[in-house]
Amino acid sequence: MNTFLPKLTVALLLTTAVALAEDKVPLKIELPKPLKVGTPVPIKIPNLEPTLKGARPAFLVPVGTTNLAAGKTVTASDDTIMGTLDLLTDGDKAGDEGSWIELPPGKQWVQIDLAKESDLCGVLVWHYHSQERAYYDVVVQVANDPKFEKDVTTIFNADANNELGLGAGKDLPYIETYQGKLIDTGSVKARYIRLYSKGNTTTRMNHYIEVEVFGKPAA
Amino acid sequence: MVKPNFTRREFLGTTAVAGAGLLLASCSPNQPKAPGAKSTLSQLNIALIGCGAEGQVLLESLLVIEGIRLVAIVDIWDYNRDSNVRRLKSQGIEVKSYENYEDLLAHEKDLQAVIVATPDFWHAPITNACLQAGLHVYCEKMMSNTIEGARSMVQTMRATGKLLQIGHQRRSNPRYMFALNRLVNDAKICGRLTAANGQWNRAVSEDFGWPKKFALSAEMLAKYGYKDMHQFRNWRWFKALGGGPLSDLGAHQIDIFNWWFGMAPTSVMASGGVDYYKNHEWYDHAMVIYEYPLPTGTVRAFYEVLTTTSAGGGYSEMFMGDEGTIKMSENPSITKLYREDRAPAWDELVAKNYLRASAVAAASTEADKVDVRETAPLLQYDIPVSFAKKIHQPHLENFFNAIRDQKVKLNCPADEAFASEYVIHKANEAIAARKTIEITAAETKA
Repeated sequence: MNTFLPKLTVALLLTTAVALAEDKVPLKIELPKPLKVGTPVPIKIPNLEPTLKGARPAFLVPVGTTNLAAGKTVTASDDTIMGTLDLLTDGDKAGDEGSWIELPPGKQWVQIDLAKESDLCGVLVWHYHSQERAYYDVVVQVANDPKFEKDVTTIFNADANNELGLGAGKDLPYIETYQGKLIDTGSVKARYIRLYSKGNTTTRMNHYIEVEVFGKPAA
Repeated sequence: MVKPNFTRREFLGTTAVAGAGLLLASCSPNQPKAPGAKSTLSQLNIALIGCGAEGQVLLESLLVIEGIRLVAIVDIWDYNRDSNVRRLKSQGIEVKSYENYEDLLAHEKDLQAVIVATPDFWHAPITNACLQAGLHVYCEKMMSNTIEGARSMVQTMRATGKLLQIGHQRRSNPRYMFALNRLVNDAKICGRLTAANGQWNRAVSEDFGWPKKFALSAEMLAKYGYKDMHQFRNWRWFKALGGGPLSDLGAHQIDIFNWWFGMAPTSVMASGGVDYYKNHEWYDHAMVIYEYPLPTGTVRAFYEVLTTTSAGGGYSEMFMGDEGTIKMSENPSITKLYREDRAPAWDELVAKNYLRASAVAAASTEADKVDVRETAPLLQYDIPVSFAKKIHQPHLENFFNAIRDQKVKLNCPADEAFASEYVIHKANEAIAARKTIEITAAETKA
């Protein structure tokens, strides 16, 4: 029996794996300090994702990955009730007053223009973390079309009943914490990222503290 | 399906009994869009005084209650005031806004009631002025940062004949009412009560900040009793403004002790201190023991509030007897009943749907046993009562229903709340004095 080929295959796989491992590094995330305000409100929402216990497991990203959203332009579906849209990409993730924006009730979205098409690998979003709550119908999409009318890729969809009309999703709703929600985008190219929600378990409003979009500008 | 046997009052706040299919969705906002409509019993004109974190929680409940017309909001901080005007407008609700309650009372002449959710030290002056202006008042707990302030509120309530509900909202919680009336009082499910245990533990949290461009001026802060913006945003930690964690968190739960035991305690011993946060005046933790001499024997009630750790299983009140223990919380997932082996069977209560058997506690394995004298794990049960409302909504509804119908009694009138708040103040006093303080029944009456 010729054992050369299998050995060669194993050697190649190992070499590839080492190369891949060398190309990826754990994503460095700067977390805000935990903050809790007011009376906890029981959260009644089906299929809630278990809350992250302890530190988040390492998320491997390609070497050279940065937060492409930092300082970038943000637009939204409506005028804000509190805060200005630049707060979403200003690097301040604190849960306190003055760090978050509020959008009116109903289906609302915010959109970040990364300025150029980019290779994306992850999105980290903080809606509101000074109180335990879950946002309804969170959907995150990316596209090269600023109007999100063509070639749209959905990278997260917790809208199980298609309340937003973007299609039903199978991702789970989750409780907001100071660690934010990390979404693995897989390997996808896009210039624009749009995040939807439709109120939350405490109020009818929609909130964002910060959105980080990880990747590298496309070559 | 056998349904629990509710009294009318319990049922008014209950929208769901497990398996009974009585779920009713919350109403959509019903606020008329045009301001200035005349107040009637079917459409009560009200104002919200204090639009901070607690005021906004109450606002969320107010907006889904039928027959309520919010006509004005009040807050000294334009950041809160203006954002709430915009927030309400985004929901089709136009309100007027005022900097303080005096302006409100001077301009709004068609109000029937106000909701007060300001820092504690403003509760008494605002509540007294509003009662004297002929308004009914729902005031958040604590009634006041001083016993004298709380007493003045009860006296003004009596003098004016107006309603004064204090925001101990668990007293209108259908699950709490059902558990007390049906399980503890009627079914005597705990047997002889021997102890109680309450707690609210929170992890370390940063002091609240503020957007610098919206900071109040030094003149404004001084006008309303604050030294600076840090004190304004973190008033609960300062002795002239609030009562610390024992009044912020413990007030709800110590009130439950008094409500369920039907009396105030006759003594309190306590320990606590400012050991962790260096810029606070109030204790960052407190451990309190009250004695309640019930007709069936003395019950000792331990209460713990910690602001340096969230360990210990959330926030709850546990009533422990020789036949069973009932653990209550606003969080239904924490609520449990535990049956002692010596207790009579609870099968009949399960059949009546008063209880629902929970997963049977697993027997200890040999490896688990550390001592042969260890008691086996107790059987666990759940209370099949839940409600599809925000947690403050039933208490607000009770207040509005009492305005409309004299036959409806407030679930937490100020004179009853005073007894609870008095013994909370005494716990803080016991910590400072480092000694047991005796409490007479006469003291707890305003």
